[in-house]
Amino acid sequence: MPPPDDLVARAQAGDQTAFRDLYRQHAGRVYALCLRLTGDARDADERTQDVFVRLWDKLGSFRGESAFSSWLHRLAVNVVLNERRTTGRRERRVTLAEDPDTVVGAQHAAPLHLNIDLERAIADLPDGAREVFVLYDIEGYGHGDIAQLVGIAEGTSKAQLFRARRLLREKLER
Amino acid sequence: MNEQELHEAVSRLPKSIEPPRDLWPDISARINVRQWRRWYWVPLAAAAVFVVVMIGRSIKPTAWDVTALAGRPLIGTQRLTASGRLRVGDWLQTDDSSRALVAVGRIGQVEVQPDTRVQLVVARADEHRLALAHGTIAAKVDAVPRLFFVETPAGTAIDLGCAYTLATDSIGKGVLHVTAGEVEFQTGLRSARVPLGALIQIRPTTGPGIPYVEDAPAPFVRALIAFDFEQRGTRARAIRTVLALARAQDALSLWHVLQRVDPAMRGLVYDRLAALVPPPPGVTRRGAIALHSRDLEGYWTTIRRIHFRIMVLRGVRDIDPRTGRAR
Repeated sequence: MPPPDDLVARAQAGDQTAFRDLYRQHAGRVYALCLRLTGDARDADERTQDVFVRLWDKLGSFRGESAFSSWLHRLAVNVVLNERRTTGRRERRVTLAEDPDTVVGAQHAAPLHLNIDLERAIADLPDGAREVFVLYDIEGYGHGDIAQLVGIAEGTSKAQLFRARRLLREKLER
Repeated sequence: MNEQELHEAVSRLPKSIEPPRDLWPDISARINVRQWRRWYWVPLAAAAVFVVVMIGRSIKPTAWDVTALAGRPLIGTQRLTASGRLRVGDWLQTDDSSRALVAVGRIGQVEVQPDTRVQLVVARADEHRLALAHGTIAAKVDAVPRLFFVETPAGTAIDLGCAYTLATDSIGKGVLHVTAGEVEFQTGLRSARVPLGALIQIRPTTGPGIPYVEDAPAPFVRALIAFDFEQRGTRARAIRTVLALARAQDALSLWHVLQRVDPAMRGLVYDRLAALVPPPPGVTRRGAIALHSRDLEGYWTTIRRIHFRIMVLRGVRDIDPRTGRAR
């Protein structure tokens, strides 16, 4: 397997095979992020495509100042949040809980109830609370970063996190 | 559920979820359409051909070639004399005196050892999937990560570009031994990353144990197994033994332990790990103990790099297991 740096360089030079390999390496992480940020499997499918199409356009601006995976992760967060800001739509509610394989990946074979319940509960959170919870508790962003990414005050980010955790605990206790 | 339990549950969520369908054909088509808009009609032809080829390759069902290496393995109910084809849904079974070699599409091969039963589940260019019901296989794959999967009764081995031996009984108790590259073994609740020269024990319902290197001391391995698969009281004693016996070469084990111990123990595990292999810049104690993915991934990159240098340069250079530098 070529080293990741080599793949990025080849994709930057327009090599679609290398870009496809980058997609194969990173699709799982990007899809997980999109699924949790949107709370909707169909939206996650579209946003994952958007992220990689955007990546193809932006790849030339990657200078290697950070790890490629971190750079892509940030790009993915921006794509998902921009989409929500632009369209402001959230008509479709959660469909992912109907199909456990959609949530956890088809390759998982063991009992999944805990994860499924939690994933479902996260998807059911109000948009603002879910975004902050996913970015802070799952993805490890700080409140300062989240405030900048989502376009809210740091205090709002903390309040949304508190609200999200309370709602999740209540939901999982039922 | 209290805050701590919620935090624990969140930390166990998988970092990666494979999309339920292959998105590459759509992405590829969109990229090529955009290029057409820029460069007019010439790239359109190339893009159309590319998309057709990609979609054709991704959806075309295929069968894999099988060669008998010893005895007469069974494909379905047919005895294999020299060679044959394994189609999606077919079972390949060896008895105590037969072995077979299966070509994994165009990306590798699997040697099916005696007393083994495997099924071809998916045979596409973008997904190669076997089910190992029981027995032993030795796989060699030369491809980008996550193209080859082996399902066992306890979970799934995901190839990250590697060679490995996987053994399981019919209820899921087994061992994974990686000899090149890296393999991820996943269940819904646990996953383990196993680089070359490392093994994991696998158990039904609990899934993959903590990986350990081939030359790990026996008491260290016994303590890891007790930590992974025994009762809660035993686990507390086992973790103290693990920390006491761990060497710098065992950092990959401690990295996994950090994510599985009770939160109250994480500080101890982190401090021991950091004493053996110093964390890279940017990885914080607080972040690692909170299991923030950026800290964990950053640490893993360093541990993995050192481990690969030790393994690849074994017998050639003396590598410092704390830093990965030649001594």
